[in-house]
Amino acid sequence: MKNNHVNTCIRKIAIPIFILAYSFYLPLFAHSPMGTLGISPPYEPIQQDYLIQGIVTDIDSPLPGVNILIKGTARGTLSDMEGAYGLRVSSTDTLVFSYVGYRTLTIAVHGLKKLDVILQSEATQLQEVEVNAGYYTVKDKERTGSISKINGKEIELQPIVSPLEALQGRMAGVEVIQQNGIPGSAPIIRIRGQNSLRSEGNYPLYIIDGVPIISTPVTGGSNMFSNGIDPLSSLNLANIESIEVLKDADATAIYGSRGANGVVLITTKKGKGYNRKTELEAHLYSGLGTVSNKMDLVNTQQYISIRKAALENDGREPNEIADYDLLLWNQNGYTDWQEVLFGGTSTISDFNVSASGGNSTTSFRLGGSFHNEGTVFPGDNGYQKVTGGLQLNHTSEDKRLNLDFTLNYGVDRIDVMANSSNLIRTAISLPPNAPHVYNEDGSLNWEDWTYSAWDNPLAAVLHRTSTDQGNSIIANLGLSIHLFKGLTFRTNMGYTNLQRDYKALLSKDQYSPEIREGANHIAVVTQRNRSSWILEPQLVYTKKIGKGTLDGLLGSTFQQNENKNLNVSGAGFVTESLMGDLSAAKAISVDNNDQIKYKYNAIFARLGYNFEHKYFINLTGRRDGSSRFGPNKRFANFWAIGGSWIFSEENFIKKHLPFLSFGKLRGSYGITGNDQIADYGYLDAYEATPGPNGLYPTQLTNPDYSWEENKKLEAAIELGFIEDRINLGLSWYRNRSSNQLVGFPLPTITGFSSVQANLPATVQNMGWEIELTSLNVNSNNFRWQTFFNLTVPNNKLLNFPNIDLTSYANTYRVGYPLNISLLYQYEGVDPETGLYRVMDVNEDGRYDYEDRTVIKNTGSRYFGGLNNNLTYKGLEFQFLLQFVKHEGYMNYMGLPGQKNTQTADFYKAWQNGNNPNIQKASETYNASIAHSLFFLSEQSLADASFIRLKTLGLSYALPEVPLQKIGLRSCKLFLQGQNLITLTGYNGFNVEFPGGNNIPALRTVTLGAQFNF
Amino acid sequence: MKTKKYRILLLSLLCCLLILSCEDFVEIDPPNFKIVSQTVFENDETAISAVTGIYNELINSDFSNGYISSITVLAGMSPDIFEIRSETDNRYGPFQQNQISPAESPDASANYNLWSSAYGIIYMANSVLEGLEHSTTITDDIREMLMGQALFIRSFTYFYLTNLYGDVPLVLTTDFHQNASASRNASSEVLEQIVNDLNLALTRLEGTDAYKDSERFNVNRYVVLAFTARVYLYQQNWQKASELSSQVISQTSMYEILEDLDQVFLANSREAIWQLSPIGKGNILTYTWEGYVFRGNNSSPFKLSDDFVASLQEKDKRRTHWIGYNSSKNFFYPHKYKDKMSINHITEYSMVLRLSEQYLIRAEANAQQGKISEGIADLDKIRQRANLDLIADTNPGIGKEELLNAIMAERKLELFSEWGHRWFDLKRTGKASEVLASIKPLWQDTDVLFPIPGEDRAKNSNLSQNDGY
Repeated sequence: MKNNHVNTCIRKIAIPIFILAYSFYLPLFAHSPMGTLGISPPYEPIQQDYLIQGIVTDIDSPLPGVNILIKGTARGTLSDMEGAYGLRVSSTDTLVFSYVGYRTLTIAVHGLKKLDVILQSEATQLQEVEVNAGYYTVKDKERTGSISKINGKEIELQPIVSPLEALQGRMAGVEVIQQNGIPGSAPIIRIRGQNSLRSEGNYPLYIIDGVPIISTPVTGGSNMFSNGIDPLSSLNLANIESIEVLKDADATAIYGSRGANGVVLITTKKGKGYNRKTELEAHLYSGLGTVSNKMDLVNTQQYISIRKAALENDGREPNEIADYDLLLWNQNGYTDWQEVLFGGTSTISDFNVSASGGNSTTSFRLGGSFHNEGTVFPGDNGYQKVTGGLQLNHTSEDKRLNLDFTLNYGVDRIDVMANSSNLIRTAISLPPNAPHVYNEDGSLNWEDWTYSAWDNPLAAVLHRTSTDQGNSIIANLGLSIHLFKGLTFRTNMGYTNLQRDYKALLSKDQYSPEIREGANHIAVVTQRNRSSWILEPQLVYTKKIGKGTLDGLLGSTFQQNENKNLNVSGAGFVTESLMGDLSAAKAISVDNNDQIKYKYNAIFARLGYNFEHKYFINLTGRRDGSSRFGPNKRFANFWAIGGSWIFSEENFIKKHLPFLSFGKLRGSYGITGNDQIADYGYLDAYEATPGPNGLYPTQLTNPDYSWEENKKLEAAIELGFIEDRINLGLSWYRNRSSNQLVGFPLPTITGFSSVQANLPATVQNMGWEIELTSLNVNSNNFRWQTFFNLTVPNNKLLNFPNIDLTSYANTYRVGYPLNISLLYQYEGVDPETGLYRVMDVNEDGRYDYEDRTVIKNTGSRYFGGLNNNLTYKGLEFQFLLQFVKHEGYMNYMGLPGQKNTQTADFYKAWQNGNNPNIQKASETYNASIAHSLFFLSEQSLADASFIRLKTLGLSYALPEVPLQKIGLRSCKLFLQGQNLITLTGYNGFNVEFPGGNNIPALRTVTLGAQFNF
Repeated sequence: MKTKKYRILLLSLLCCLLILSCEDFVEIDPPNFKIVSQTVFENDETAISAVTGIYNELINSDFSNGYISSITVLAGMSPDIFEIRSETDNRYGPFQQNQISPAESPDASANYNLWSSAYGIIYMANSVLEGLEHSTTITDDIREMLMGQALFIRSFTYFYLTNLYGDVPLVLTTDFHQNASASRNASSEVLEQIVNDLNLALTRLEGTDAYKDSERFNVNRYVVLAFTARVYLYQQNWQKASELSSQVISQTSMYEILEDLDQVFLANSREAIWQLSPIGKGNILTYTWEGYVFRGNNSSPFKLSDDFVASLQEKDKRRTHWIGYNSSKNFFYPHKYKDKMSINHITEYSMVLRLSEQYLIRAEANAQQGKISEGIADLDKIRQRANLDLIADTNPGIGKEELLNAIMAERKLELFSEWGHRWFDLKRTGKASEVLASIKPLWQDTDVLFPIPGEDRAKNSNLSQNDGY
């Protein structure tokens, strides 16, 4: 049944997509200024020889002596001292550029008269790669800061919604936790740990093509999204060229306080360069997803035996009011509630198309995508995303003026249940013999549920629906003018707008018929709008001084963010069908309608000096101003210094350590600020009360608080062996974050429980990061690369004077990480009572925080990934193993003996009540107290370490020759798997986010094809 | 040459642009939803709104809203009227068993919510008082009226705090630097402040006899008089208590004892002296929290004790009109408020002070002063309405003690499920242990005071704990 359904779905989706693809394709090329694609270009009809010219360069200089051959012939030439070449070709020829130490490049000439190519160095490929350092780019080899990068190629085909999920396991120092398997959920991302005591003060900066995106998740919609919706959800993954993460002081300093928690730079794909024929790329995939893990729970017989044991232990006869599960419910009935509530199969399909090309002064890239995904929940839920993007690059004839315009537009829509966060909890607590959800006629069964403590769980799923629609636009115009030798003026003008409209329809049909009459249909509408603009004029200067090069940058930033929220609810609709129309509500209330502004201003300067490509120094200084502080505290100065030494360039190293092909020492230190606090906090002000005509003070005000301070220190060594086939990077970092901006806790006799203030507390994040890449095999047909990364973080609260007097007294402990659990010491089962016992440390007869003396670290001890890429001819095989070592809570299971299910492991251990180490089944008050203390004891934590086959990709590139006959340049078939296998000893639900009542990441398999025309 | 000049000009212009990144840029105006405090008290309209804000918040504030952490519910559980329905109830159970934890349990958080919300209202009153004092532009009459109302609300709140917790910190300013380490003031000191402030409020409200907009959630002079009468009664200042309650009772144009019990709790009922309007909730839900929390549905956590219900005679109208019965779960619940779920349709306000109590105050004050017949008359006023035999008919020669006992019993029946009256009556008459020890197995004499919440003690080491906790 299911399979049939899926097949139909795929057919339903795939066919229109193909039609769509071809209808895109035709008009696009009819208007293309660059001519067309394919084998027989319409206006280059004469297949006679003509002269093609061009320049061959590597990343920064011309390459002389490059061998240029016409494919399939012996005709060719060499490039001259300036890298220039000229060759007579016919328009259907393909040129092969080869040069020792560089990757061979094959390009079809397509009738072009001018073809400049850039060759990529092969041996030192990894280090020659340019990385985006924000306001400037730097060769990976020469960088002074700590920057990790992944290429768009690695993520474009992954069936995921948020680009951040793609970082999992791929970058050292970057921890991404996917709390929730619902598409669009915001993952938690921490770059080198948690710096701020405030959980909302730890968001990194997101920059898309130079435009900052507010990185806090979008909340206020359905609470199925534990952490809100990802503000990046409407990006097109296939449109990402690269993602760079800036980590240390040197790299982040250029972003100042905004980069205090690290920077995620997302660069979208640009046109492939000037003088290119129009090329079309398309891919299409579809597949299936299911929840990657379910809990192993008891069956009905096992459940009943625990229940009966409880009644016996409590000396109670069952009665219909308390024990309906034993007397009224079917004693042989069984329902797998996890299957019913989130056991569905989600169908995924994705279509992406892009075209790029360019003439001698303008190049473009145009792309669009469609992504559709179901959910694993019952009911009409799903996720859809449509995106469009445009990149235009223009250069003046004399190359003095450059214009880059980027526009990314995305719309996505998430349909899930509204506020049913208990759904997962329900699935792992409902007794297995609870009644059927449907009657025989297909209507919801209410009758059998009435006398129970539960409502039919499907009622809340089917009758509390919501839609969250996002609209995002990110536009940026970059302008650069070459003023005179060495000096360029640049400016960056960006605008972004994200609108999310949430609408929840809470039908009164969610209630059982007897109370339905008195209830109301309720509709909730929440609109959230975030817009920001940025203007960044800069002067860039480069000059050769002596044997070195000096790079200077002077710039300033003007940025304004605006947040608008509107939350309206309406109740008392006459019929369910009118619920979409708020004006049909009997009563309307506006719960929130605020408008918040944030302004940020900075002047910054960077000075880099590079001596003989051996010694590098990089200085950054800046003055930041933020509207989040009171008038006298707005501005502060920050700085950073970074340096590196490529010691392998030294003669004595070359002589004594010949096996070392590359060696670099790198270090940085800097101070930056953090202003991630609520806006207007310094303002002594009144707000409107919820009731009419009233005003009231809503906070205590302290106009004197100021910037948080982050001091970052890093030392690193980078080594290359065997012609750089093995590259090893080892970094040590220590970030200390002090002057913590927190709600300073106050006794509520002051009117409030806290006031915003700088606390002299210091959080330290120290750690080791290892990145290893190795080209294991590199023969003509077979190539095998391995990438490994490992992070060993160590987070610690260094000091916090008078912590005992603050509300953090029971959250943090000085000398321990921020992620800790304070737990009771477990003493085993009391043989007299048969109940769990925890230690009353101070023997005062009460159990409180003074007795919770066991401190457990629930943060990651280490994490990382192992990625392998194997290619054999057209066949490519890739797999990424992600691993995390951490401890976490077990999923809370209800009191054994009460009307709630248990894990199969519990049943096994329980041994029909004969295991003296397990609490006896009982429903008494004391049993329930003992059980809840047990879940606050050290026993509630378990090792939740795991190794996960995060991604697996298999692709096959069809041979090019037959393809060309049908007008395709290339075609690749691929298979992608996500979260296929997880190895863990943890028996809870979501190993990534242990103890949470969220569905774990989905296990998906997709199949697709990628075409180049 | 010329191009070079041009370039240098352009360059210097750009440099200026860069460096001119003026510090004014990061100045922002207050957002659309905030008014700077100083501005609030610059004109009459917004200053009035600041006091309206307090009235609005009283129905949202935990201690006063009649909901799950309110005095009505929590202090309601402590004496002999309510019982919990589930033995394992760890929120209301400890209140009913007088075993409240100072910290880290559902009952402790209820206690903390009650305490901290009361201080929240006190902060608002202090903020208004300070704002008005410093304002130079406000009309004098308005200033007087608003200060009178704010002083009243502060005293009202302190009265409950000191009756629940004994000694409490007397916070009279908004300065958190100072208040954060405040220690507890003796209850006598707190009471002195309350009486002084109430008298000050009476003076300031001299011209405010009528309810603003005829809405009985606004405070007029009689509200203050009625409440001050209660304060004097608690202080055993019988003469003052009787004098002030008389002033209220004599306002027959405004107040009367309503014959129909179903009308007593209606919005702006003529028995009401001070009410809180659900309009302050600011949403579409227009029922009172008492109506909701005492709706007597199957999952209701508490019920009226059978003994209490049995103490109402069959013919007592309060039994039929003010008590509901859940037949499927077989228990009684308070039914003074009829509206349990309305949307956009206000019928009832939450009652804080009503005339019936004033009669009982005067009855008691007179009886204490030996004015037995006056005492009987006032008590009979209430008994008559309840359809009970009048003392004047059945026992005209009643003695003082017996009369006082009858008044006490009547207060229990009349004022049940309203603002913890029974609990405070038992405490002020020193009968808590005598009455409760027999029905509460864990009763200790120190249970007359609630514990000072541990959360605040953790943050302010100067806060001492009550005995027995």
